[in-house]
Amino acid sequence: MPSDLGIASTRLRLAEWGEMAPIVAVRIARKTVPPLLGMALFLCAWQAAHLHYGGFILPSPWQTCAAVVRTLSTAEGWAALGATLGRAVLALGMSVLVGGGLGLFAGYFAVIRATFAPVATIVLGMPATAWVILTMIWFGPSHGAIVFTITIVIGPILYIGTVEAVLTRDRRLEEMAASFGASAVARFRRVALRQILATLGPVLGIALALGFKVAIMAELVTNVAGLGAEMARARAHMNIDMALANVALAVAGLLIIEHVVIRPFQTRSSMWKRIGA
Amino acid sequence: MSGLTLATVSHSFAGRRVLDTVSLVIHSGELVALVGPSGSGKSTLAAIAGGIVKPDQGRIMRNYARHGMVFQQSRLLPWADARANIAFPLTLAGMADDCIAERTEAAAQAVALLPADLSKRPEELSGGMRARVAIARALVVEPDFLIFDEPFAALDPALRRRMQDLVLSLAQARGFGGLFITHDLYEAARLADRIAVLDRQGKGIMGSLAPPGPAGARSEMQIFDFVEQARRAPLLSDLVNVDERALSLDCACDTLGFRRCC
Repeated sequence: MPSDLGIASTRLRLAEWGEMAPIVAVRIARKTVPPLLGMALFLCAWQAAHLHYGGFILPSPWQTCAAVVRTLSTAEGWAALGATLGRAVLALGMSVLVGGGLGLFAGYFAVIRATFAPVATIVLGMPATAWVILTMIWFGPSHGAIVFTITIVIGPILYIGTVEAVLTRDRRLEEMAASFGASAVARFRRVALRQILATLGPVLGIALALGFKVAIMAELVTNVAGLGAEMARARAHMNIDMALANVALAVAGLLIIEHVVIRPFQTRSSMWKRIGA
Repeated sequence: MSGLTLATVSHSFAGRRVLDTVSLVIHSGELVALVGPSGSGKSTLAAIAGGIVKPDQGRIMRNYARHGMVFQQSRLLPWADARANIAFPLTLAGMADDCIAERTEAAAQAVALLPADLSKRPEELSGGMRARVAIARALVVEPDFLIFDEPFAALDPALRRRMQDLVLSLAQARGFGGLFITHDLYEAARLADRIAVLDRQGKGIMGSLAPPGPAGARSEMQIFDFVEQARRAPLLSDLVNVDERALSLDCACDTLGFRRCC
């Protein structure tokens, strides 16, 4: 049997929760209502355009949603989504290794930076479509060709981002660490890397988004299995519902990776910068 | 017995000689203030003394076990809370967690930081609290020599005075020697046992002045009289009269810029 003290404590806690509930509700509303409102406005505009142009030109959000469900109810639909996602993530990983790795060296050594500067400008200036054509000729329409294309398009972005991250770090913190006897490796690991990763977070998000777009475009041109190839097939059959469903899946896939991989990384690596801003 | 000896130290940044055969001896337990006009190479000398910069020429003899260093603008890690910042040198040394915690608490107590302050990040702390954290970080290594590189230059006068009091009380309690870089003659006269004057072009120590009595026991009147008298001495004419606008661009005090001159 609960004691009087226990009941009083529970009542007090309930009263506290009662006082806190409206504050928490307002906070949640402030966080969730604006994005939901934005989504609602977008869907309303889409529906209005559908009513104006008709279902053949622009299917309604509901028709698109039904097409997405149809696509995801088949193994082929999941395979296409998985193939595109897998290529984008694999290419992002390779770009981080190659572009990020070279960027680190270039950031620390001016000679390497000066050597790679024109190369990075040329590679960055090449249109993604040109790379798709070239890789199709070099490797044929294959999975490797698409991964190579994405890597070569987003690699220079990560290279330049890493170089900038290295150059804009606060070197005075490394001097501070040196005064306490930190070795060059310890200064890099404990002081510099933290700052470099914080600057790289947004670059990774941009690189992933671009990589996803390039993946779909490359699949569409090469007709290698993936969301791009599904879009090409939908266009050939004039199946507008399926074309839009694949677009919606591509956007959803990008959002999933962004929120599952990139955002947590950004939060972990650059929270201190946002708090300090 | 000397705590730190800098013998004929010379150093250049990007071809410009910043320090030219500078020699300075700091005895064990002695706190020496180094004054000189902007661009004379004070911070470079502090960086050399602290092992951050290796001089082009000259010898450095350290007759102490460990030194701590307090910088201008604190230089705290912005992603770490005050506790982690204070513990940073011990973390670098790979010390055991319980020992780090114990020594961090002791250092925080020595500079009168409250337990609640220790979980705050640098941007949540005031300028004075940041300075306290920076001093605690230097103390946590249990140094027998401390190097201060204009640590309170960015603080307002009242706060600067409180920080000076803190340094005085710590120096008296722990008996460490040190090098205190400043361009504030009043600060030097309050804190130091001896004031060394660096040539405006870094061409050696021009001479030294000794304020009356031991540091911490000087009255305000004594400090004021000493500073007024010292201002008229030829030794300090450059410090008192130099116009920083007359200095060439490459004398601007930026140890990180491409000139890296002072």
